[in-house]
Amino acid sequence: MSLSISKLTMVNVRKDLQLEWRSRDVFNSMLFFALLVVVVFSFAFERDESRPVMGGLIWIAFLFSTNMALNQSWARELRNGVLDAYRVSPAPAEALFLGKCLGNYVLILLLECVMAPLFVIFYNLKSGGPLYQLVIIFLLGTWALVVNGTFFAAMSIRTKNRELMLPLLLLPISLPAVYSMVEATSIVLNGDGSPWAYVKFLAGFCVIYTTACFLLFEIVLNAE
Amino acid sequence: MRGVSLELQSGKFYVLRGENGAGKSTLLRMIAGLNEPTEGDILIFGIENKFALEHLGYMAHAPLLYDELSGMENLRFFAQLYETAKSDAAKNDAPLIEAMRRVGLDPALERRIGQYSQGMRQRLSLARAIFHSPDLLLLDEPFSNVDPESALAIAKLLAAMRDEGTTIVLVTHQVGLLSSLADEYILLSHGQLVDRGVMTKGLA
Amino acid sequence: MKSKLFFGLLAIDAALLAYGTYLGLVVAPREATMGDVQRIFYCHVPAATTGFTLFALNFVASVIYLWKRSPMADAWAMTCAEVGVVFCTVVLITGPIWARYAWGTWWVWDMRLTTTLILWLLYVSYMVLRRSSEAGSTSVLAAALAIFAFLDVPIVYMANRWFRTNHPQPMIGTPRLDPHMQNILFFNMIAFLIFGMLIAWFRYDLERTAQKISATHIQRAARGTAMALLPAMFLFQVPPTINPHVYLYGGYISCWSIYIIYLLILMNKLGKLRKEEAELRIV
Repeated sequence: MSLSISKLTMVNVRKDLQLEWRSRDVFNSMLFFALLVVVVFSFAFERDESRPVMGGLIWIAFLFSTNMALNQSWARELRNGVLDAYRVSPAPAEALFLGKCLGNYVLILLLECVMAPLFVIFYNLKSGGPLYQLVIIFLLGTWALVVNGTFFAAMSIRTKNRELMLPLLLLPISLPAVYSMVEATSIVLNGDGSPWAYVKFLAGFCVIYTTACFLLFEIVLNAE
Repeated sequence: MRGVSLELQSGKFYVLRGENGAGKSTLLRMIAGLNEPTEGDILIFGIENKFALEHLGYMAHAPLLYDELSGMENLRFFAQLYETAKSDAAKNDAPLIEAMRRVGLDPALERRIGQYSQGMRQRLSLARAIFHSPDLLLLDEPFSNVDPESALAIAKLLAAMRDEGTTIVLVTHQVGLLSSLADEYILLSHGQLVDRGVMTKGLA
Repeated sequence: MKSKLFFGLLAIDAALLAYGTYLGLVVAPREATMGDVQRIFYCHVPAATTGFTLFALNFVASVIYLWKRSPMADAWAMTCAEVGVVFCTVVLITGPIWARYAWGTWWVWDMRLTTTLILWLLYVSYMVLRRSSEAGSTSVLAAALAIFAFLDVPIVYMANRWFRTNHPQPMIGTPRLDPHMQNILFFNMIAFLIFGMLIAWFRYDLERTAQKISATHIQRAARGTAMALLPAMFLFQVPPTINPHVYLYGGYISCWSIYIIYLLILMNKLGKLRKEEAELRIV
């Protein structure tokens, strides 16, 4: 009896979407939070002086929101102890992990879709380079943060200061990736050169860490 | 846990007793595969427990269910964790409906279980634990905060399942409820196996 | 708890360190451009190599732990991370002291300092995880994090290699080295490596004993080691026009203060452990 990981992943994603649709509490609050972040940044960093550092600004705003979103990603499994029921079933843990990652990925991409236009509005942004490059950078960068973030959020379940542990674990590991995201975004926004070296690096980072998370998740889930 | 070595016979109803902190829940969780023993193996019908999960049902005093979904929706999700995909949706639902009926719940109920009473929630949790017809059923304090009527209904269902051949291991403080239904008791204290024997009526 | 072998090695190493320091401060040729302050090099670079070696050992121990689940491997992993952070802290303090004099700036994004900073952050987060996690799950979670952290090392290295080319690359310890300097450096590296391993051995024993008597409060990673970095910030108000020897001696003094403070923390833990053991025997 083989429970295929891909099918079970979709089962988990569907379940998460269904749960979110029923209550909509997370999505609405996150949406508002994302809006607030952009507004605060726009207040704090003047339009003209910030032009050279827009790449960094945007990604810090994304990091902030990603952290908030990931912190509560396992909350539903922890309430009522559903995680135990999952662990007792023959379903492989990797499917649960991938399902969670995909769900978080979609959620955070949606938030970015809200934040990016707002940044454009507040900063009167115009991209120097082609837009599709930015899309690729956002897709890869977000995945890098989400895959590690979901993994560390699962680790944080078994720690005392859950909400604090996630950024403490996620940020040091993500530093090289964050550097690439920011540089690549700046290059495209300023239109001076090709970001492909950074994009390739990000892609490599994603591959390495997705594999590591996939292989180690079951061990971390069952660490009791 | 300190050097607990135990052998259980299939088709019997065991009650795991002991004072608070004796290790009853820990032992149950070890059998279920949720806790790893530092030494030793746990075999279910000769297979290591990690590979025998389809034969296990587990129930705790937390409902282990999603509040935002209805009864049937919860069961459908868990059903997908236990079987290969069957194309016929109706065939999928049959054991779930059967399980809900056995625990005394209405399968047509669309209400989200967050609005159920504790008794109803524990009944649904039991349905989740038994729909795949497990050979071994593990229950950790299933009667806590449950109204007496639901508790009796659950206890009677467990006895009926024992009669059908399911092995049951139950941790509880309310031994009185089970004194006429259970077969044997196992007593733990400070992580060690202290005593075991046949349940006699009126055992406090 | 301490064998004759340990004390014997300690004595030998003390001699090696003393001689190495003498070589570095007195015998080594004066560097052409930077003068005497360059001598910090002889305690800065060995600290880096010792720290990185310890982190590599932490990775190996963590993998072994996940495979065999042996408490010995877990104790080694914890020890190597903690002692590694101590040595990294030394790198992060001596580096800026040197940089401030040599280039007029406290921080420089050169390869070694950047890698060290990221490693320091990674392994401090490792120690925080060790402290904050629930008792049963600490070892497994920490081992998983150690694997992730070590995966980052080649990634950071490559990122620096490929992307930092447009930044100034004042490599601390550029290998256009006088062979005389190279030998002295090598000597110091060995002396400090042995020093690091001896401290690790001591800490490992402490950890194993604490494991056996379940003295979890002693098993917890020493908070103080990582925080040593912070007060150092306040010392950095020195203007660059003063006598360069202040930098040199400041570097060596801060380097050794950190080692000594850490050893004092360990002795404190040993004292507590002895007391607990005695209590258990009475019971």
